Amino acid sequence: MLADVLEQLVHGLTLGSMYAMVAAGLALMLGVARLINFAHGEFFMLGAYAFWYGYRELGLPYPLAGVLAVALMVVWGVVYQRTVIRAILPRSWHVQLIATLATSIVLTNLAIIVFGTQPKEVPTALSSTILDVGGFRLVWQRLLVLAGALAIFWGLHRFVSRTRAGRAMRAMSQNREACAVVGVDVQHVAMITFALSAALAAAAATLVSPLFNIFPDMGTGLTLKAFAAVVTGGFGYVNGAIAASFLIGITEALAGSYLSYAYKDAFAFIIMIGVLLWRPQGLFGRRLGI
Amino acid sequence: MRVLVRVAVAGVAVAAPWIVAAIAPGQQRYIVHVLIFTALFAALALSYDLIVGHVGALSLAHPAFFGVGAYTAAIASTRGGWPFLADVAGAVALAGLVAALAGIPLFRLTEHAFAVGTLGFALVAWIVATNWVDVTRGPLCITGIPKPVTTLPAWYWLALTALGLVLLLYRGMTTFRLGRAMHAVRDNEPLAAAAGIDPLRYRMLAFVVGGALAGGVGALYAHYLSVFCPEEMTVALTVNMLVIVFLGGVGTLRGVLVGAVLFTALPEILRLAPTWRLVIYGLLLLVIVIRSPEGLSGLVRGRAR
Repeated sequence: MLADVLEQLVHGLTLGSMYAMVAAGLALMLGVARLINFAHGEFFMLGAYAFWYGYRELGLPYPLAGVLAVALMVVWGVVYQRTVIRAILPRSWHVQLIATLATSIVLTNLAIIVFGTQPKEVPTALSSTILDVGGFRLVWQRLLVLAGALAIFWGLHRFVSRTRAGRAMRAMSQNREACAVVGVDVQHVAMITFALSAALAAAAATLVSPLFNIFPDMGTGLTLKAFAAVVTGGFGYVNGAIAASFLIGITEALAGSYLSYAYKDAFAFIIMIGVLLWRPQGLFGRRLGI
Repeated sequence: MRVLVRVAVAGVAVAAPWIVAAIAPGQQRYIVHVLIFTALFAALALSYDLIVGHVGALSLAHPAFFGVGAYTAAIASTRGGWPFLADVAGAVALAGLVAALAGIPLFRLTEHAFAVGTLGFALVAWIVATNWVDVTRGPLCITGIPKPVTTLPAWYWLALTALGLVLLLYRGMTTFRLGRAMHAVRDNEPLAAAAGIDPLRYRMLAFVVGGALAGGVGALYAHYLSVFCPEEMTVALTVNMLVIVFLGGVGTLRGVLVGAVLFTALPEILRLAPTWRLVIYGLLLLVIVIRSPEGLSGLVRGRAR
């Protein structure tokens, strides 16, 4: 019984890591650019297919395929900023929402056309070996996900707090107009933010894809859950979004196994609506800043 | 002159099955089928525009109300043996009730959060429709929903009547004092509130009426196809609504009608697989939203009308 609960807890932490890496990107974009990227789950999906291509089609070793996926998604982040975001950044939030939603529809359906609806599997050596400690069974890949996620959050924190680009991002999250006045190139900072968020999504995809299948419409549900985390954690506040992601992941794993598996995808939204009713600014909500 | 044009358009709309029969007798069934869809989608888009275009609340919850209406009608008629008009009335009432209950927490959210919250609500509705097998039969769909009329032209006139009713209600709500109050809430909420117009009341009104009408259209849709599946109430329906409303012109009756005609005619002309169709709709939506500020800025700044 205890081993069972522990196992679900680890599942929850893995799910939480995945949501957190996606939600952190969303929160960065929302915090810095004041923009909700409805296509962010599709970034994860594209990253997963890039990883699959490197790992299965080109036969690269696992870490190298991951690096390739991250690199490709950084390029995609820049392209996306140059084509779509540049045009909608100064516009109203209705325009931004509809434009990014439209991008998500285009990407999902292009993926169906290019890769087909048949799910792709990417098992690795770690995802097929099991650690057994007195009845408590654990797939090694899950440990890698947790370790990888922690390393990534540490790196993200260093980047945002220590580098010049990170300072520019924080400045822009506090006051975009003032940044523009003192000569910060707002579009350039937005580009770095989008490239960084896309890299986070690709890293998440590389870490968790061996545990789940890759399919074209995996992004939509993920965008919404990551949003639920962003909203629950406090709009555009990265650490809040990460904490809320783990809350959602663990709730989903426990509730999915002890309450109802069929409704497991609904819990994220129930948590979100509950939190919003109680605290409309989110659990850790502040007014400004990432 | 404008009255003459309107009478002419209405006349052509009513006589459409005969016109089609005269021009293309071999294709009549197919063309009338497309026309029925056009009328239903136009009615649904008008109900959506009441919320998006007139009180400026970018709701993404419409598929949920459409689905509630469709399932109410489907279940009441197949298991309860309700007559057609009674189950449609039930669908309208229940969808309106669901919209009212959902609106209470959702309208505590603003802007992005409202959009995300409504999208989450639509997703939960879809998950429930897929998994509550005892009631909805889940992915097996509800089949054998009785058809109140059998011939295609009769269906067309039924759909057109529904569209006419929605259109009258839409006109009634968006003109006169009520319409001006809704537009005030959309264009400048603090100013409206300062002038004694309660923003929440008008938003709720548009949300509930829009949701109830969507439920009614859902009921007709289920009766027409005689099958209803959970897939009919996914995000794809929201995308369709956004394309229709923003393609034609948000917040304008003529714009939404033109959008519905273009939207239902376009795929028939393009003759594409659904996947490609969605790619094209997505690109179209992207280009419209970025390149033609008319549609959307009208929503924010408001046009003198």
